[in-house]
Amino acid sequence: MRDIGPIITTSIRNNLRSKALTISFLGLALMLVVGAVLIFCLLFVAPALEAELPGRSELELYLGLIMFITCLFGVGININVFTFLPLTREKSRGVIESLLATPLEAKDVWLGKSLALFLPGLVLGEVFTLIALIAVNYIYFVPKVGFLITPWIAISSFVAVPLIFICLSLLVHLIGLTGRPATGNVVAQIFLPVIAALMINLGSHRILDITSWPFTLTNLGIAVAVGVVVILLQPRLTKERIVLSRQE
Amino acid sequence: MNSAINLENVKKTLGSREVLKGISFTVERGDIFGYLGPNGAGKTTTIRILLGLLQASLGKAYILGQDINLSETRRKVGFILEIDGLYDNMTAEENLQYYLRIYGMPKARGSIDRLLDSVGLGDRAKDRVGTYSKGMRQRLALARAMVHDPEILVLDEPTAGVDPSGQIEVRQIMLDVAHKENKTIFLSSHNLDEVQRICNRIALINRGEIELYGELESLRRDMGGGGVVIETAEAIPEPLLAELKNLPHLGLHDAKERSLIFSPQEGTEVSDIVSLLAGRGVKIEGAARKEPSLEEMYSAILKEAEPP
Repeated sequence: MRDIGPIITTSIRNNLRSKALTISFLGLALMLVVGAVLIFCLLFVAPALEAELPGRSELELYLGLIMFITCLFGVGININVFTFLPLTREKSRGVIESLLATPLEAKDVWLGKSLALFLPGLVLGEVFTLIALIAVNYIYFVPKVGFLITPWIAISSFVAVPLIFICLSLLVHLIGLTGRPATGNVVAQIFLPVIAALMINLGSHRILDITSWPFTLTNLGIAVAVGVVVILLQPRLTKERIVLSRQE
Repeated sequence: MNSAINLENVKKTLGSREVLKGISFTVERGDIFGYLGPNGAGKTTTIRILLGLLQASLGKAYILGQDINLSETRRKVGFILEIDGLYDNMTAEENLQYYLRIYGMPKARGSIDRLLDSVGLGDRAKDRVGTYSKGMRQRLALARAMVHDPEILVLDEPTAGVDPSGQIEVRQIMLDVAHKENKTIFLSSHNLDEVQRICNRIALINRGEIELYGELESLRRDMGGGGVVIETAEAIPEPLLAELKNLPHLGLHDAKERSLIFSPQEGTEVSDIVSLLAGRGVKIEGAARKEPSLEEMYSAILKEAEPP
């Protein structure tokens, strides 16, 4: 594999120069994250702390949900916002075809574009999650029960969620490069709300304990499932298919 | 020494359509090679095969004697594709820096200024490409094609959509590159005048087949049928015309008011015809071998190839 650094840095810079997309990305991420944190804090955390002896496991569950949702939206929104337009534009304007005519291989362009989409979301998601973790702890928990965090919440939020979304980014780019970017975008648009709804319901209804290893394993399982789909589709990734798909 | 480009019986089928039906040609080093043909003839498919973007269904394509699918081979080729593929949100300088990094030459940044100056974009280097005119974009695309100092340039319609003054500028840059920097240029174009002006060899593709291929000047000579045009100062008197018609070795073909067109038999030179006419008191203003323009050749070939 060749050096894909230039593709990653240039694509990130080019994406972020699109003001409308950047504002949409930051605005949506901020709205969703702040909204979710406020809802959980005001409706669940604050009332739970009013009890004489607040249950530690209950508080850990709420903190787990807050961190998980924050990371899910922080990392995922980026893929939803930036998948369609930049890829459609780059394909129709011949940017991708030009890159493929250089010494780069189709795989280099695919990985470069996928990472360029994933990395800003990763940074944003992790920063948001860290801020939420510290803020919720110091505003609500530290005065009453001390600093809360369980290793499984941390692994689910900081490792499993990014793994899911790097696989998703690879998948939507694979579909978008070898076919229509709109199809890849549909996958991304459906994936985020479905995964969010599924995991929140599993956690909040205590079907899966969000602070336990099975929840982390479930998330890793989703990442693996998406990864397997990527591996199965990867033989489609040829220069010829990418070039000809521009005319579809 | 290997040729710059060599295609051997290349066939390409897309779906059920045979786009290239076994084409072969060679582009020698230092050539400015014109690749002509109507829309849908297979020009872009040929270029895509040359750049490793499509795989030939059959046959082989070589660049400098090497397989085009090797990344090392592609490093020796610069290109302009049908759509320029430039980043609108980035400046000209950034676009070139990007490609320098892709070609693994980030330290060659100093060459960017020289290159932008050479294509007349030095003063717009820091402007976003989205603000450029079509002509400026094509000049930048040409600069990008040359940024890594390739040995061969494959250019697909580099002057398409460019105004006449822009076309002259792009054409001049191509000539400079070919002659001063000794690069080989493979130029696909609809602009026959442009090809006639700058190319030394051509190939004409139609419906996936090469209809005409070779050195432009010799093709023009061959297609001119060895005709000779004599321009006279005055109209030719009828008795003299009748006499000329009776001299079969001259092969008087056509006579207009002040010009005579001959198709002389082998062994009869232009000078023989001129001497004969001068001997009969005809004042001659000019004499030349008749050679068709590229446009005439192009039309004739395509007309011939039309299905009945």
